[in-house]
Amino acid sequence: MVCEKSAHFNEPRIVSLSPAMTEIIFSLGAERYLVGTTTYCDFPDSAKKIYKVGDFSNPSIERIISLKPSLVIVNLPEQSRIKNQLEKYGLKIFVTSPSKIEDIYKEISELGRILKTEKKADSLINYMKENIRPLSRIKKRVYIEICPRPLITIGGTSYLNELIEMAGGENIFSDINKDYPVVNQEEVIMRNPEFIIGLHPEDIENRIGWKDVSAIKNHRVYRDLNQDWILRPGPRLVLGFKQLEKIFE
Amino acid sequence: MKAIELSNVNFSYNDKNVLKDINLHIEKGEFTGIIGPNGAGKSTILRIMAGILKNFKGDVRVLNRDIKAIKQKELARVIGFVPQETHFQHNYSVEDIVTMGRYPYLQPFQRFGKDDIEAVEWAIEKSGLDEFRARPVKFISSGERQMVVICRALAQKPEILLLDEPTSHLDIKHQVRIMELLKDLNQNGMTIVVVNHDLNLSSQFCKKLILLHKGSIYKTGTPEMIIDKKIVMDVYGVETEIIIHPQRKTPQIFLK
Amino acid sequence: MNKIILLVFILLFSILLELFIGPGEFGYEIIQLRIYRIMLGIFAGSILAFSGNILQGLFGNPLVEPYTLGSASGAALGASVGIVLFGYANPVFSFAGALMIGIFVFAIARIEGGLLRDRLILSGVVMSFLCSSLVMIIMITGRKELYEILYLLMGYLGIVITPKNRTMIIIIFIISVILILYLYRYYREFDIISTGTESAIALGIDIQRFSIEVFLIVTLLISFVVSIVGAIGFVGLVIPHISRMLFGPKYVNNLAGSLFLGSAFILLADALARSITFYELPTGIITSLIGVPFFIYLYRLK
Repeated sequence: MVCEKSAHFNEPRIVSLSPAMTEIIFSLGAERYLVGTTTYCDFPDSAKKIYKVGDFSNPSIERIISLKPSLVIVNLPEQSRIKNQLEKYGLKIFVTSPSKIEDIYKEISELGRILKTEKKADSLINYMKENIRPLSRIKKRVYIEICPRPLITIGGTSYLNELIEMAGGENIFSDINKDYPVVNQEEVIMRNPEFIIGLHPEDIENRIGWKDVSAIKNHRVYRDLNQDWILRPGPRLVLGFKQLEKIFE
Repeated sequence: MKAIELSNVNFSYNDKNVLKDINLHIEKGEFTGIIGPNGAGKSTILRIMAGILKNFKGDVRVLNRDIKAIKQKELARVIGFVPQETHFQHNYSVEDIVTMGRYPYLQPFQRFGKDDIEAVEWAIEKSGLDEFRARPVKFISSGERQMVVICRALAQKPEILLLDEPTSHLDIKHQVRIMELLKDLNQNGMTIVVVNHDLNLSSQFCKKLILLHKGSIYKTGTPEMIIDKKIVMDVYGVETEIIIHPQRKTPQIFLK
Repeated sequence: MNKIILLVFILLFSILLELFIGPGEFGYEIIQLRIYRIMLGIFAGSILAFSGNILQGLFGNPLVEPYTLGSASGAALGASVGIVLFGYANPVFSFAGALMIGIFVFAIARIEGGLLRDRLILSGVVMSFLCSSLVMIIMITGRKELYEILYLLMGYLGIVITPKNRTMIIIIFIISVILILYLYRYYREFDIISTGTESAIALGIDIQRFSIEVFLIVTLLISFVVSIVGAIGFVGLVIPHISRMLFGPKYVNNLAGSLFLGSAFILLADALARSITFYELPTGIITSLIGVPFFIYLYRLK
């Protein structure tokens, strides 16, 4: 999704407010155009050296503007307020908001077109497509816990749903139309997941009342996943996918 | 024996010197009135005597003991204090309020004993509040309310009773009732100290008057000595005519 | 006598409601979860209402409630710091935050002479604002952390219990019971204080010392509650009033009333919170939503 004003520029000056997009830009070999990133944009290593305009939720508008960027990449819906403010200043915005895996590829393609690195974009997309393939397996029911208090899981509208599905899992909460819904314990227990993936450091195995849950009984609780590989819709999603694949084998 | 003794007492509030070099004593069994213009420091002295204001300079003794060395609860068994006005936040019954006066004698969760019941009965009878016992305190007149507060102080069975302007907001009937009650208590041995701006009432009932002026004691003496045209002029700046009360023989003031 | 029966009945009813409402099938595990929920509800409700009642008595101000002293904001601040440092809201941090703010409030109020308890309120309100601002700053820094802090601020009974935190929680329960009994015995003092601070001093209450002791104990109790279930609002403010309406002005009665009514109220609100939507609503939202009209209704009845 792109909102363009004028297609004419010399050297692109890009501010990326999306860690995933930052990684993608590096993969496209276009990192020299990056003039500003967030503090969360920490991969690859050299990304850490790029000028920081602030963090993910509250970057400094002033800093962004002072860089005179030709393009600012924002996340929706998290950064909608920032997007509005930037638009008021007449800045050109590129929106990333993938709810399906296909959306990720579309955005990479679009970015490649803007930065005139279509070849690299295509090769990245192919790389990802090759490695993130739907596997024909019996889907294993999985519960993904992002936060333990309150219980926050992944709902049906996130691209992660699809990722999990392709890796051989079935998100027990895919029927909820929110990205990150809050659920209650009883609901999780009733839906009896076969696998549990925890994206936080707190204990899941020893919860009172969860003893009869299939995943707990069979010790299929996984907590040592790399969050950045899964929660960032970028090139390392492939690694995240492989992690998930292994779990559901 | 001196009931209360103040020696070289000074008191400041917010850098303002309110009391200067106060030296006075109250004998046991006396009925004393503290009078003086507004702002002279009358209420302050009373509160120091009652143990409410503690950061004064000087020496204050109650029944020959240093007031600062007496625990609050212990002091409350000896001294009863009646403030000028009491606003009751909640609607306790009259009896509820009076029984609060037994607090200085009770341990937590301790039930009421015979002494406590007797004290409360005595206080209620003396104050004439028997028919009001169960009445919620917000539904009685301000005169009765003041009586309730006095009654509570009586339930403490104090040796010394301190009252701050007890009659100031009341009609004549209640004024007389309260002053007669105090006279009766005094005749039975209670030491009474009343702060009052009503000179005539003070003159009628108090045996001794302490006249306060600008934070210092102007003069101490009998009503005859204090209620004097020249003194009143000096302290209050008002011209008056002094007449002797036909029955009580005490000096009474008439404004010119 | 009727009122006591009514009270017990209401409490029993709300317990049963909590026990039987929920998506889970009735089995041993689910019942365990619900019983914990009920215990937490009773714990939070009784302490919040009781503390509110006591603070209103201590300060002679009917609008004071437990969070006026800054503990909710302090807990939120502590939790936020925990999130920033460790990535999730550790209850130990909430507890430390609530406690520290309480002590801070107290230390500030202590600075001059005069009536300590009046300055405690002012100091508490000011610190609350400060903490809220700090929490805001931290909140807009995170993203999913937003949820955690929100639930912490609004209160939430459905927390996960592990054997580890179960022991901690039970110890806290026991300590709380002891502290509540300890404060309960001051019912006479509260009665007296409500008639005026000078009267209270004259009757033998060392107001200064009394305020400090009560304040610190209440702060401790509230810190326990906020760190475990978050800042469930409204209960501490309104239940004491309802208790006074039903049981009269004497603290020996209305303190007990607060304990029962507070528990029942939170359990009812929680049962409602769980049956309205599919996913968990913070209990605090419901307590406010049903509390306000209910209170207005009762008030007009008077």
